[in-house]
Amino acid sequence: MSVDLFDNAACALAVTAEDGTILQANARFSEWLGLSSAELCGRRFQDLLTMGGRIFHQTHLAPMLRLRGSVTEVKLDMLHHDGHKVTVLLNGNKREQADAVVYDLALFGTTDRDKYERELLNARNLAEALLQEKTATEIALQQAQAQLSEAYAIAQRRALFAEQMVAIVSHDLKNPLTAIRMASDFLKRGERTTKEHQLLGHIAQSSERAHRMIADLLDFTQARVGHGITIKAAPLDLHAVIARAVDELRLAFPKATLEHQAQGHGDACLDADRVQQIIGNLVANSVAYGEPLQPITITSRLGDTSCEVAVHNHGAVIAQTLLASLFEPMTRGTDQGSGVRSVGLGLYIVRELARVHGGDVAVSSCAINGTTFTVKF
Amino acid sequence: MNLKHRNNVSVMGNGMATLVFSHGFGCNQAMWNYLAPAFVDRFRVVMYDLVGAGLSDLSAFDKAKYGTLDGYAQDLNEIIEAFAVGPVILVGHSVSAMIGTLADRQAPGRIAAHVMIGPSPRYIDDVDYTGGFKRSDIDDLLDTLDSNYLGWSSAMAPVIMGAPGQPALSDELRESFCRTEPDIAKQFARVTFLSDNRQDVIGLTAPVLILQSSDDLIAPLAVGEYLHRVLPNSTYCLVDNVGHCPHMSAPQACAAAMQRFLAPWAITDVG
Repeated sequence: MSVDLFDNAACALAVTAEDGTILQANARFSEWLGLSSAELCGRRFQDLLTMGGRIFHQTHLAPMLRLRGSVTEVKLDMLHHDGHKVTVLLNGNKREQADAVVYDLALFGTTDRDKYERELLNARNLAEALLQEKTATEIALQQAQAQLSEAYAIAQRRALFAEQMVAIVSHDLKNPLTAIRMASDFLKRGERTTKEHQLLGHIAQSSERAHRMIADLLDFTQARVGHGITIKAAPLDLHAVIARAVDELRLAFPKATLEHQAQGHGDACLDADRVQQIIGNLVANSVAYGEPLQPITITSRLGDTSCEVAVHNHGAVIAQTLLASLFEPMTRGTDQGSGVRSVGLGLYIVRELARVHGGDVAVSSCAINGTTFTVKF
Repeated sequence: MNLKHRNNVSVMGNGMATLVFSHGFGCNQAMWNYLAPAFVDRFRVVMYDLVGAGLSDLSAFDKAKYGTLDGYAQDLNEIIEAFAVGPVILVGHSVSAMIGTLADRQAPGRIAAHVMIGPSPRYIDDVDYTGGFKRSDIDDLLDTLDSNYLGWSSAMAPVIMGAPGQPALSDELRESFCRTEPDIAKQFARVTFLSDNRQDVIGLTAPVLILQSSDDLIAPLAVGEYLHRVLPNSTYCLVDNVGHCPHMSAPQACAAAMQRFLAPWAITDVG
């Protein structure tokens, strides 16, 4: 009866000696491995395993069975007589007999469960690989960010240095330029030929232009690296100030037609020099980019609560893409410049001056109505 | 750093020389339970767990450091420095025989002699060399390790990590026997079975006792004989034993061979 139970058990059973030699194996064991009981007896249990299993047996299983007296749920691949793998779960127990120690082994087939476990294992390995990838990417990103901020800091330092240099150079250029203007003024007073007058006129006009550029540069550097542009606001007659400015601009741009329109009545409290500078820059801009045969209109408008000045010209439309950056430094309306063109700071300074007066500048440009810059104070 | 905690160091016995027992791949110092007691009356006995095994501090496991056997050799020298007295004889099982060799090369002269149990300088066959394994066998082992956590789960990790060093073999140590965090076990398997220490062995001048099992899958006869050939100062002792752990399955034979070899250092007290 007990032999029947042993042979017909729903699992493979074996008894081995301490060194793994099989002393007894049940029919199920024979059936699973395709070896008869006689063939099994005398062979070592570990020799029926795959190579990985045999190493594992030597390094883990055998020492564990000896020291702890039992092992449970160890998964092993056994080799069938025909070479295919049989995946089993092994439980083992040490039993002391009178003359020797034996191990009772029970094996359970686990092929389907093994497939599932392998899928789980693969999923875990995949997750770990992805995590590793993610970590590596994050590290790379951090490094890139660090490099970027370093590059940004370097660029900042360079920009500051360049702007400071511009400030120093433009300041230093003022003195020789003043000397040139004084000398040409002095020469004008003497008796000159027509040709000489013409040449002196060129010198005066050119040094006037250079002076405006330097003034722009100084304002620019003051706005950027200094404490900002400063103003001295006082009550003034805006219409008169603009009229005077337009008169002076007519001398500076003799070929252009400048018209002044004064609208409304009211008070204004502004820095007269700076208002003149705004009009100067806007008119220079219109002369440079507007239609030369059409008049440029300068409007001063006074109201109860606010005042504004506007400069209008006909001519090519300012591209929509350019409008957004028009008031940034070094921006130009077009590459086709005229001789009156400045370094590209004029509109930037207009905006800074408008803002320091608590106002702002706006532009509208279309083919029918032309281009209008409006500064509201 | 607390070495005692990191490597779960235990110190026993009395003597003028120190035996340092270093376990092999897969287990912990509990495997010395059958052999070490035979020496406590004449030697100071130091046992420890390799980092990643047994009750060592798992948080000390640094993938890069333990990516080669040199990291383990460095630990061994630190343990010798801190716990050994007098001449040091290293008793290394399996991979620990090579860890001992590397430790000797790192600090020449510090280790007076080596007892190598089932040593192998290279497991994979090579031109004119029989290690006993093919590369695919090692991959098969890694696969088997993957399928067997042997009761290890992340839930029990804190217990192992938090355990203070125990001098004697505790239930805890018995419990942790052959249990290792799977990732650590796999890396150690790779480092162990893919290592090639043939160049490190050549030139080892300290006396060596090679304890070779008569039937050992992991360290076949050819490997023991190879080592005996390249180590001029070696004694070769064939132990009648099946399996890779003669110190567990044939401890008396191992102890007898060791007693003979260790006689020059076995002085208890000069006073």
